[in-house]
Amino acid sequence: MEEGSLRVGIETALGDGYLTTRVDEFVNWGRKNSLWPMPFGTACCGIELMALLGPKYDVARFGAEAIRFSPRQSDLMVVAGRISIKMMPVLQRIWQQMPEPKWCVSMGACASSGGVFDTYTLVQGVDQFIPVDVYIPGCPPRPEALIDAIMEVQRVVEEDSVLRYKDTVPEAPVAEPDTTELPQVT
Amino acid sequence: MSQALAEKLQAEFEGSVTDVSSREVARSTPSTQVTVRVERERIVDVLTFARDELGLKFLSDISAIDYLQMSGAERFTVIYVLRNIADGGELILKAAVPEEPAEIDSACSVYKGANWLEREVYDMFGITFLSHPNMTRILTPDEFDGHPLRKDYPVQGRGFRDRFPVISRDAS
Repeated sequence: MEEGSLRVGIETALGDGYLTTRVDEFVNWGRKNSLWPMPFGTACCGIELMALLGPKYDVARFGAEAIRFSPRQSDLMVVAGRISIKMMPVLQRIWQQMPEPKWCVSMGACASSGGVFDTYTLVQGVDQFIPVDVYIPGCPPRPEALIDAIMEVQRVVEEDSVLRYKDTVPEAPVAEPDTTELPQVT
Repeated sequence: MSQALAEKLQAEFEGSVTDVSSREVARSTPSTQVTVRVERERIVDVLTFARDELGLKFLSDISAIDYLQMSGAERFTVIYVLRNIADGGELILKAAVPEEPAEIDSACSVYKGANWLEREVYDMFGITFLSHPNMTRILTPDEFDGHPLRKDYPVQGRGFRDRFPVISRDAS
């Protein structure tokens, strides 16, 4: 290292080739730059999400090019679209299948608050039933707004800590066996 | 053309087929849309005649209207839209269904496509189609209660959209 640069004590002892940092900063740097989205696109916002994944708006620059439709391999759920009363249990099951650490973005007016559809079929805001980190207004929000939300999630991740659950034991979600009987097709 | 179909229908089923009305509709070529009232008891015979003799082999849609607060004899009207794919002919049938019992014969024996269309009308309006092979809900969830497109059902629903378990951040 050149003359006059700041060296922390142990770096002086170890010499070139060693950097020190905090575990939290290092882990959060890794996590925020590799947020793999779980695209839960149900309606029109899904189209804007697809635009974001394309070459023009290119979310791959944020490390999010691995779009896994499997919740078990992703860490950022993007709820893009209207969530109906039939879809809400599915959304909750998918959320519970995502491993920690995970974050949720509620994209668009319908996912955040029900949007223009104040009817008997649509849940008026998914944040009533799953924890949401960032909300994006818009109908639909432009891909740039979604990029802004991803950067906001990155800021949320930066402030996270590996000691988050040091003193709490999270309840293990009980996965009930799926015994829904499929109706016979007539 | 539709007028001729309606007249043939009226000739065959005197008394049961009434009130032929028509209006101009703006389509790619201006055309006349003809609507015919049919007695509910004879709907299957009328549909069979329409399919076999009039060439209206395609059932385009089945829908219903709820006349809750409007004056008139019956609460519901079931609408059948029949098309002739070969020459574009169209005929609309309307059958009045009272509130109690809200029943009408199923068209499944005449048109196979009526199966899901009638399930939708049952789900939304509560009109039962007699001798339907599978008279169950199709659009709303299985545990749903009520018939949403009736005029006395509130737009915001009766609370089904608020009844889900809350998953908190810690429990995820």
